[in-house]
Amino acid sequence: MFCLLGFVELKAQMPHDAIYMNKNLACGALVYGNNYWTNYWENSLKRDNPNIGRLTTQSVTAMIAYGIKRDLNVIAMIPFVKTEASQGNLLGQQGVQDLSVFLKAKTKSYHGLTAHGVLGFSIPVSNYVPDFMPMSIGLGAKTLLARGIISYNVTKNIYLSSSIAYQARSFVKADRDAYLSGSKLYNTDQVPVPDAFDAAFRVGYLKKDNQLELFAEHFSCTKGDDILRNNMPFLTNDMTMTSVGMYGKYQPKSFGVNARVAYVVDGQNVGQSTTLSVGLLYQFKVK
Amino acid sequence: MIAFTLLACSKEVNEVGLLPYLPAKLDETGGNWKTFVLSSGSEVAVDVPRLVSDAVYLKEIDSLKTVVIPSLTGDQRAAVLYWGAGAVLRWNEIGRELAARYNLPPAANSAGVYPVPNSADPLADPKFPFANPPYTARALAYLSVAQYDALVSTWKYKFLYNRQAPYQVDATIKPLLPTSNLPAYPSTDAVVAQASYTILLAMFPGEGPFLASKLAEAKNAPIWAGVCVGSDVNAGAKLGAAVAAKVMARAKTDGMGSANNQALTAAMISNSKALGLPNPWISQEIPMRPPMLPNYGAVKTWNFDRSTLELIRPEKPYLEGSAEFNADLEELKSIQANQTRTQAAIANYWADGPGSFTPPGHWHRYAAQAGVEAKLSELRMARMFAYVGTALMDAGIGCWDTKYYYYSPRPQQFGLKTSVGLPNFPSYTSGHSTFSYAASTVLSSLFPERTKTFEGYAQEASDSRVYGLIHFRVDCTMGGKHGKVIGAFAVQRAVADGAN
Repeated sequence: MFCLLGFVELKAQMPHDAIYMNKNLACGALVYGNNYWTNYWENSLKRDNPNIGRLTTQSVTAMIAYGIKRDLNVIAMIPFVKTEASQGNLLGQQGVQDLSVFLKAKTKSYHGLTAHGVLGFSIPVSNYVPDFMPMSIGLGAKTLLARGIISYNVTKNIYLSSSIAYQARSFVKADRDAYLSGSKLYNTDQVPVPDAFDAAFRVGYLKKDNQLELFAEHFSCTKGDDILRNNMPFLTNDMTMTSVGMYGKYQPKSFGVNARVAYVVDGQNVGQSTTLSVGLLYQFKVK
Repeated sequence: MIAFTLLACSKEVNEVGLLPYLPAKLDETGGNWKTFVLSSGSEVAVDVPRLVSDAVYLKEIDSLKTVVIPSLTGDQRAAVLYWGAGAVLRWNEIGRELAARYNLPPAANSAGVYPVPNSADPLADPKFPFANPPYTARALAYLSVAQYDALVSTWKYKFLYNRQAPYQVDATIKPLLPTSNLPAYPSTDAVVAQASYTILLAMFPGEGPFLASKLAEAKNAPIWAGVCVGSDVNAGAKLGAAVAAKVMARAKTDGMGSANNQALTAAMISNSKALGLPNPWISQEIPMRPPMLPNYGAVKTWNFDRSTLELIRPEKPYLEGSAEFNADLEELKSIQANQTRTQAAIANYWADGPGSFTPPGHWHRYAAQAGVEAKLSELRMARMFAYVGTALMDAGIGCWDTKYYYYSPRPQQFGLKTSVGLPNFPSYTSGHSTFSYAASTVLSSLFPERTKTFEGYAQEASDSRVYGLIHFRVDCTMGGKHGKVIGAFAVQRAVADGAN
């Protein structure tokens, strides 16, 4: 859902999966994320940068999912993000980033097949600096997201799912009042962040509230420019990445834990990041 | 989904559009103004044009009426409006865009060495030039001087020969641009286009095809607009090329060729230590990068001479360990711990780092805005850029001379980080402060009613380097003072050039 050099993908449990809270049941989560990269793709050139070393983005995300109905959930999340470079002299940034809210609904199962739809938005909730990448904590754009998911129960406990999403992303007001995009200089502080697609394929095991999943995800922008030779990334970049990972959740009772690991195997204009996250979950009845 | 569609459809960047305007004054006596490189506006000869009653000229008018104007395409009309906003202005914009595109520091190779850009192979990695602030200040200065000298000459011949514009010769020609009584020969657009093309191609040698296409369009636009005929344009192009060649002759011998002489740094470091600086500047990059243009301070100045340059060089910076130095360091530490969003915004706004048109480009842009708002004639617009541009280049030279004379350390040598990126050259004095106060001094003299605004910008640009944690306060205050003095030399020249 976010696409930034070294960005934390806050995806533990979430608006992209095929799992629902029952009516009036809520699940709150506090998730710690750690995303880091040493190598990145400057356009398509894979390189390191000794003046950054390892760029680490840590986050703590508060999240809640609530069952309005058993087939209609609302999910909201808000992260605090902190960036740091291990070498060089770029000052780390930190702050509360973007609030996201999603509605997720599903159809009835038909021969094990279920269709789901997700609509959501995100909006920055603090005035962080968007154009000091890769140290910025976010892109600063407002986004609207629509996602379609098809899930299939192979057996009672084994599932497959596939999803595709489109994100419309807004202009961002940069601190600078001119920027280069491609070979054109724009004399304005209004920067269009390119729209993006993502797609994913998942296979997993689910029994009651316990889950183990393998996934592959792909993210790409609909347009955008490339990082110029030896330049810093910018909001207009056409970022692309393909990642693989694993997700697990163990929830014996009201309290549970989850963990996620993801690794970018290929990309363009992004860091080759590894993301680790662990969360504490708490399920409770409302009313 | 409607909201999605709306968002998706509105992704075109809207910039403030510039429209053609009628100049507030024609500046009829401009042909007598003092030039920078030419001895006078009549140094380059321009052929006597044919009379408007001459059959050859009338054939040109006829072709304009019966062939060119009736078959104008939408693209040609758009080109007329684009160039009609001002030839000087548009070529200045192109210069700024090229500066931004070429403002990228070379990457280190696998051996940890930073290759030097090669002007003979400009598109290889690293591209030539690395259009850093001193380079860009110089490129825009020569561009502006060539435009100005060429236009003084143009005005000379326009009013000497007084050949009218096609729409004055034949009232059935309805021009697409605002009209005036400015004589058409030689064509202003063509003079500016050819002079600008020559300078920019020399400064950005990898941009031949791009510049050639701009040149061709700029020379056609006045014909498409019905304000010139081909012979106006040809005479203009010839004049523009001749003036630019003379300006380039100065550029080739101004010392830029040895501005990157790294062999001089050992003596500079010794000098710094002899002046009492215990820890001179050292590159903070990994691997260590040779400092930017250590001998740029020896490049030939425009508005004062070498002995003046040494005379006005700022005095010694605060020495490490002194109470004043410690106070400046404490200020930076406190900003690093509690940088406000406003401070970060100011630091970012003025950062003008890699991939940007640099501080000199930023000031040329402010000048452009002021010139358009004042509806300056092409000649007076060029004059403004020439004084702003030479003041900025002089500021770069004066500042670089100071930087390498003292070779003083950056705050990062004392443990500070930066929120804007660290320039790779000595700290004292601040380039931003020197550039900005030099430009604001010239602009305030040209637009006295805006003095407060320009000085406000200059002070903010100066402060931005403290907020971004890459300069000590004294670097900025002393750089600002130095810039004011440098700007005043340009003003002194301007008041005596006959334009006021």
